[in-house]
Amino acid sequence: MGLKEKILTKSLYVFHLSSGSCNNCDIEIIDCLTPRYDIERFGMVLVGSIKHADVLLCTGSANRLTVPRIKALYEQMPKPGFVVAFGACGASRGLFKDSYNTGKPLDEIIPVDMYIPGCPPRPEAIMAGLLKLIGKLTAKPSLRWR
Amino acid sequence: MNMDEFLKNIGNRFGDRVLNINKKSEKRAYIDIYPKDVTEFVRYIFKDLSCRFDTASGVDNFDTLEILYHFSHDPSGITVSLRAILSDKQDPHIDTITNITKSAWWIERELHELFGIEFDGNSDLRPLLLPDDWPKGVYPLRKDFQPPKRDSRKE
Amino acid sequence: MNPLNYLVLFLVFPGFLFSGTMGLLVGWVDRKITARLQWRIGPPWYQNFVDIMKLFYKETLVPEGASKWVFFSMPLISMAGATLVSTILLVSNGPAHGGFIGDLIVVVYLLVIPSIALMLGGFASGNPLASLGSSREMKLVLAYELPFLLALFVVIMKTGYTIRLGQIIAWQDAHSFVIASASGAISFFVMIFSIQAKLGFIPFDMAEAETEIVSGPYIEYSGRALAMFKIAKAILFFAMPILLITLYLGGIKFTVDGMLWNVLEYLLILLIVIVIKNTNPRVRIDQAMRFFWRLPTLLAILAVVLACLGL
Repeated sequence: MGLKEKILTKSLYVFHLSSGSCNNCDIEIIDCLTPRYDIERFGMVLVGSIKHADVLLCTGSANRLTVPRIKALYEQMPKPGFVVAFGACGASRGLFKDSYNTGKPLDEIIPVDMYIPGCPPRPEAIMAGLLKLIGKLTAKPSLRWR
Repeated sequence: MNMDEFLKNIGNRFGDRVLNINKKSEKRAYIDIYPKDVTEFVRYIFKDLSCRFDTASGVDNFDTLEILYHFSHDPSGITVSLRAILSDKQDPHIDTITNITKSAWWIERELHELFGIEFDGNSDLRPLLLPDDWPKGVYPLRKDFQPPKRDSRKE
Repeated sequence: MNPLNYLVLFLVFPGFLFSGTMGLLVGWVDRKITARLQWRIGPPWYQNFVDIMKLFYKETLVPEGASKWVFFSMPLISMAGATLVSTILLVSNGPAHGGFIGDLIVVVYLLVIPSIALMLGGFASGNPLASLGSSREMKLVLAYELPFLLALFVVIMKTGYTIRLGQIIAWQDAHSFVIASASGAISFFVMIFSIQAKLGFIPFDMAEAETEIVSGPYIEYSGRALAMFKIAKAILFFAMPILLITLYLGGIKFTVDGMLWNVLEYLLILLIVIVIKNTNPRVRIDQAMRFFWRLPTLLAILAVVLACLGL
């Protein structure tokens, strides 16, 4: 594994985007910063601006109104960057599958690297997902997708 | 005031323009009215009885549309809803209540674009939740709405 | 001294490399103590270094409406200003008491440069939120410079009206520390507030508020430019307690127990700054201006009067 990947995985800056979620997932993300689960010991911080971010954490089921905005945000994230689809809504639109306002699931809009299932995912599941992302990046080249 | 006083006030003021009163419990009641009387009822409840306008909801019964206006009287904790049944489903009209309370702007926009109800007197009925390229005349929350097939992967 | 000596002083020791490394370590101390105060564990010691290295590997995006020359030169100017401050302070504290007449004034001027560079970088970004952050930074500089300069004037008056850092240290060697007098102690107290605002820490971090105006002037910076701003901030964080030690606590001594006392004083000043940072909410810019032009200014004027009387 290269030095670049190792350094990148030691300090991931996470940008949290809610594309029409019920806000349950957003609350669980904030839980990860609390002393019980403490995600800062892995070097991950929540940042305010997309241009400082390495990981785009996308909750919500990608409303039709938010599709151009999600695409714009993904393009503004400096590469190398990764996308994590959060919750059941991020993976497949969840129970909003037949709704009038959700046309496509998130992974047909932007390329997704990791799914964290759950409605909402527990903080332990969030941390397991983010650590699996780190593991995927530092794995042998044959196991990486890009 | 408690629920009985409230309903007595409404009965005294409006007499037989009230179609029906359904008192579900000490804290909850539904008052059925004609759609053409809605501004007078709302003015009386909002101003004279000093209630707070909570929200409005729409229902599609298969041959009529119905709007519920929910008001809550905070000091006593009671909630009263006005039910107005619109019988013409092809071209439903009702007067706007934004002259009385500005807080009804956006809920009327939402009811207009999701149900197709026209609010006479409301000049700003732009779409609120639906995207700009949504076809006109298709109202998602009506019972005869067919959800679209999944968007194609190519877009 | 030939120019090569100056270059080594500026770039290696005690200039860019030394101050940069120490600044990033001091930043780690800040994060670790903050985490411990919140009953968390906190990041490992190499976290800040890894952050800066990772930012060098990312691509740099330039917004379309930005003026490119200003946008890219501001991080460099900010880094240069911070490094010069650190170099002059450490050279004056060195065993030869280097420096020149008027280097205190030069340090005061150079301390404003990182703030001005941040402001101009924000305005050059072409983003309304960045302009909002920059205008707040401007008002904050107006607010805290006044008590800062008044408190500095107390130090100058007590150490025999000298404006040379080396002579301030020499006066404190011959007499007592400046902080040991009443006016010196009040002036030190006022300086702590100004340091908090200059470094952009809570309660005065409304210029770069993380979630309110989405990082303010930093919003459009990414990759290497952002890394340079972070290094500049780290070097400034390292240099400010050294400025306080030079002016009030007798400078850096080069004996064994002198050095131990210096480390203790440095950690104490760091602890004061970090604890204030963790126990306060963020204030609005008008509250900050009102605060700085009332309490610290009045205390600093009181200190000047006491210094005139010889206390």
